[in-house]
This record gives sequence, structure tokens and C-alpha cells, in this order.
Amino acid sequence: MADVLRIEGLGKSYGSKLALRDVSLAVADNEYVSLLGPSGSGKTVLLRLIAGFELPDRGRILFDGKDIATVPAHKRGIGFVFQNFALFPHLSVYDNIGFGLVNRESDPVIDPLALRSRLNAMVELVGLSGLEDRGVHQISGGQRQRVALARTLVSQPRIVLLDEPLGALDANLRTRMRGELRRIRSQLGVTFLHVTGSESEALAMGDRIVVLNEGLIGQVDTPDIVYNSPLSPNVVHSLNCYNLFAGDIQSGSFLAGAHSFPLTSKLHSNPSPAYAIRQDLISVRPSNASLASGEAGLTATYLASEYTGAAFMYFFRAEDGHIVEVENHLSHRAAQNLDVNATYQLVWKADDAIVYG
Amino acid sequence: MTIASPTPNTADITPSNLAQPRSKASYWLIAPGAIWMTLFLVVPLGMMVYVSFWSQTTFKIEPILTTKSWEAFFASDTYLNALWTTIRIWLLVLLSTFVVGYPTALFVGLFVKNKTLATTLLVLCVIPFWTSFLIRVLAWRPMLGKEGAINIILQALHITREPIEALLFTELSVIIGMTQIYCVFMVGPIAFMLGRIDPNVIEAARDLGASFWRIFRTIILPLSMPGVIVGGIFVSVMVLGEFATAAALSGRKVNMLGNIIVTQVGSLKWAFAAVVGVILTILMGVVVAGFLRIVDLKREL
Repeated sequence: MADVLRIEGLGKSYGSKLALRDVSLAVADNEYVSLLGPSGSGKTVLLRLIAGFELPDRGRILFDGKDIATVPAHKRGIGFVFQNFALFPHLSVYDNIGFGLVNRESDPVIDPLALRSRLNAMVELVGLSGLEDRGVHQISGGQRQRVALARTLVSQPRIVLLDEPLGALDANLRTRMRGELRRIRSQLGVTFLHVTGSESEALAMGDRIVVLNEGLIGQVDTPDIVYNSPLSPNVVHSLNCYNLFAGDIQSGSFLAGAHSFPLTSKLHSNPSPAYAIRQDLISVRPSNASLASGEAGLTATYLASEYTGAAFMYFFRAEDGHIVEVENHLSHRAAQNLDVNATYQLVWKADDAIVYG
Repeated sequence: MTIASPTPNTADITPSNLAQPRSKASYWLIAPGAIWMTLFLVVPLGMMVYVSFWSQTTFKIEPILTTKSWEAFFASDTYLNALWTTIRIWLLVLLSTFVVGYPTALFVGLFVKNKTLATTLLVLCVIPFWTSFLIRVLAWRPMLGKEGAINIILQALHITREPIEALLFTELSVIIGMTQIYCVFMVGPIAFMLGRIDPNVIEAARDLGASFWRIFRTIILPLSMPGVIVGGIFVSVMVLGEFATAAALSGRKVNMLGNIIVTQVGSLKWAFAAVVGVILTILMGVVVAGFLRIVDLKREL
């Protein structure tokens, strides 16, 4: 697959605040890329630079091999879906979707028949049939999301940038729209670059995930690789499903405060040593239980639990104050009866841990 | 019947009974305003219509109903001219406040991104109101007069050789003065509506390829229309009832309906003043109703 978009050494600051340090990225044609990052990671800045709403301080953006630094936003052939949808409040669903085709400076669609057929096809694709004449305040949030998407897609951009497109929707709608977004994208064969702060959304949506942290790309890979072998502690942090310990490596052990974990797996090289263990790979045992060989563990005080339906999240405090989260999938293990403020042994296979150093 | 009977009972107990104390309180809230408006607006309006049919002699007015004052109004060129003058000045001032006010509002409401600065600029527009109305109006005389500031400057710059006399004591000076005084009532509502436009909406339109003029015509102007209407109503109501600016800046040459009322009341011709008052009120009513037909304010605001 050819790269439709290449970003090379992109940097952007606002005053003394460095929003984007040095970002390089290649996005293929007909691909769904999700861009995961916490707020302040620079993900929206990156999107706005690609869209052309702002100019980078350094670096190049190549679209189809051509540098588009000086090309204004609307001539880039890149669509943008705003977080709050930014629909035209005084226009109907139909006129919102048709706005670009009718009003664009270059090559507007004037023939009413051609316009109608393109709009009808788009309305059908995004599932808005029957709502064409409604005002955009007379439809639901999910439908507004579809209008925003259709308005961008109808101009047939090669890439669509989506800025937290599901952020404004409530939870069950969000899950439904995930599937819809993927279906619409694959039907049209356009490239989606989807910015999100939610790790589950990023994992569910992307053919590939780009993890952005403090203005730098931490990892670019398929969801399962990012999830199972995050490249750096920053990526681990973004995934929000690992317990992360900072510490030191000394003679075959990882020392994190009062705890010491044996090192068995290979190290991922990283300037600051860290130890990561996934929340669902930890088991809870009585405090007097001893560790079998090949196991690592620590003693911690049980604080509270949170029921999430398919799982329980247990919260523990280790002796050094570190909060350790344990995810207990009810399909694997029955719910455990834990006493608040009692001490337990948290145990995992040393091989399951990911160690940076 | 037997099945349906329990439902209305329960329905009676819950919503209407709960709503009752609230509606009582709301009557108390509306009462001062309603009483005030009845006593000082509805009754005087009715009185004005009534008095306009009274018999007027030179020194006396009697409650004997007649249409003589009405006939006199429509038979007199002077009064009909005053009506046309009022409509003409109203339309011209409306146009000039819009032409001057809209770009100002566009700048303040849309191009000034900093909200504090935008508010400061709007406050600056109101500063002339810190001086009295009369001073504001009279201050135009040394500006527009034959030896006024504008003529001195124009001659000093050799743009004109002779002083332009048409600047003062003409309809033009009345329009200039009124535009200055009432422009802010146009700027405020429009700037308010423009400030409510989501910047992303304009960015989206730009991203979809529309030029600035296209965006202005298809997005910005329609979204600011309620502001234009509200501003238009403000300006219209004030200009239609004007008499002071017209008198002071035209040297009493330009007579609007308001000036006629002042003169008639001054010479104790109450019935005739009432006729003009009724006509003016109807004119304002028609104008406001016309504005409200253009945009559904209830929906837009």
C-alpha cells in the first residue's frame, strides 16, 4: 500500500510551550489509524497541522508525495470532522451535507440532479434517510455525528481527520458508532485518522494505533502488538491497563521502593527503568502465601473494589503507598471476598511483566 | 368507563395540584409589570385614541365625538409631508446604522477573538451616552456648521474651496446626527449574535472550500439576522418617535411626526396631537410586526 500521508519531523510550539516535539508518521491509503494520547499530548495540534488550520514551526507534511505546507486547508483534499460536529445550525440535514459541494470555490456542483444523486447516496450510506429536511437541532446526537461525517465525506477526500468524534456521544451510542465508522470507512475506502483519548476506542477502531505522548510518538503498530508489548513506559501509561512501577535494576532484580521483582524476561531499552504488569494478570492470595518459582509479587492492603459487569477492579495500596489495580474477569475467576484494610499477597508470573531499563 | 375512571383521578392529583402553587407565585411575579403596563400604557393608549375623536376649538376641547381632527390631518399637505419625512428619515437612518453598524459588529463580534477586548470595545461604543442627549445632538452643530470643524478641515486640505452649507440645518444633518446616536443600538445586538457563532462552524465552512464571501452570505449573515432584526426594532422605534434631533439639527426645517405632536401640544391642540400620536403608534406597530415576520425571534434566540 502506498503512503498517502507522510509527516516528517513535525514540531510546533505555542509561546514557550512545546506542543509537538518531533513527529514523523506514515499513513497508508485505505487505512484506519487511531491516534491515542492523553489530553495535552499534542494529538489535536497534530490533527490541526495536517488539516492546515495551523502552520508547523518545523518539519514537512507530504500528501501524495507533495509538500502541502503552503496549501490552504480547503485545497488539501483532507476532510475534518470536528469534535463538537460544528454543524451549520440554521441549515437542514440535507443542506448541511450539501454545503461543501454547493459552496466550494473550485468546481462547485451546480447541476441540481447531480447534486441530488450524490447527496442521496451519501444520506443513505450514513443511514440518515428520511431525516433530510429536519433541522440539525431536531435530530439526536448520533444522527448529528452522521451529518458531520457525511458533510465531510461527500466531497470525497482521500483522508478524513476525526477529532475525538465520539467524545460528544453517550456511552452506548459511542459503541454503536464505532462499528458504523468502520463500516462507512471500508465502504468508501478512504483513510481515517481518528484522534481519541480513550484506549478502548483506539484499540477497537484502528487498523494501526499511534500512541502520542508529550508531543512525541511512543509507538506505531497494530492494536494487539501495542496492547501486549508497549514500547515504553509512556505507552504503558496511555494504555491505562497496566500497573507501572518506577525503580532501579540491580543484579537481576527490579527494585521499586521496598519491593523487589525477579527479572526473567528481556529488557526493553529505555532511559528511565520501569516495571509494568497488566492488571488482569495479577492474582490475589492470602498474605501468608509463599511465591512459587517464576513468580513475582508484593504485599498490599486492600482498599476498595469497583464492579464493571464482566469484571471486578480491586484497588490495593502497596507498602510504599503505590496504588495497585487488579482486574478480575468473572469469566476466569469468581469474585473474591476481600476484607477492607486486610493485607494480601499480589502475585503474577515474572514472565508476564514488561521491564524497561 | 369503569376502566378509565381511576386514571383521571390519579392524574388530577399529581401534576395540576403540584403545579398550582407555582402558578400562583408566577401570577404574583407578573402582577407589578402587568399593572404598570395597564395603567401607564394600555389606558393612555386607549385615552389617546378616544381624545383623537374629541371636538377641538381654538381654546377648548370637549368630549363630543367627531372625526374633524382626522379629516384635517389627511387634508393637510404639511401633516402628510411630515408623515413621509418621518418614513423617509426612518428608512435612511435604518440603512445608515446598518451600513455603519454591521461591519463594526462583525469586527467586534467575530474578528476580535479576545472576549475581554470585545466587551471593552462594546463599552467604548456606549461612552457617548455618558453625556446628555442634548449635548450629543448640539455638539454636531460646531462639527457640521458653515464654519464648523468638517468644513475647516476640508478647506485646509484643499478638498473643497467653498464651505459646504448643506451639512447643517438639512435633512442630511438630521440623518448624520441620528446615525451617530442610534448606531450603537444596531451594533450591540448584532455583535451579540455574531459572538455566539461557534468558530468551528466557520472553520468547517472554510475547510469545505467556501470563500469568505460565500461563508458570509450563507453562514454569518443568516446566523446574525436575529441581531439585525432586534437592532432594527430598537433603531426604528427610537427614530420614528424622534423630535429633538430633528429640531436641533435642522433648525426646525425638518418636521417629523414627533415635531408635529410637540407643536400641537404646545398650542394646546390635544385632539390633533392625539391623531398624530395614533398614526405614529400604528406606524411603529406595523414596522415592528413587519420586522418580527422576517425572523422568528422566539426560535432563533
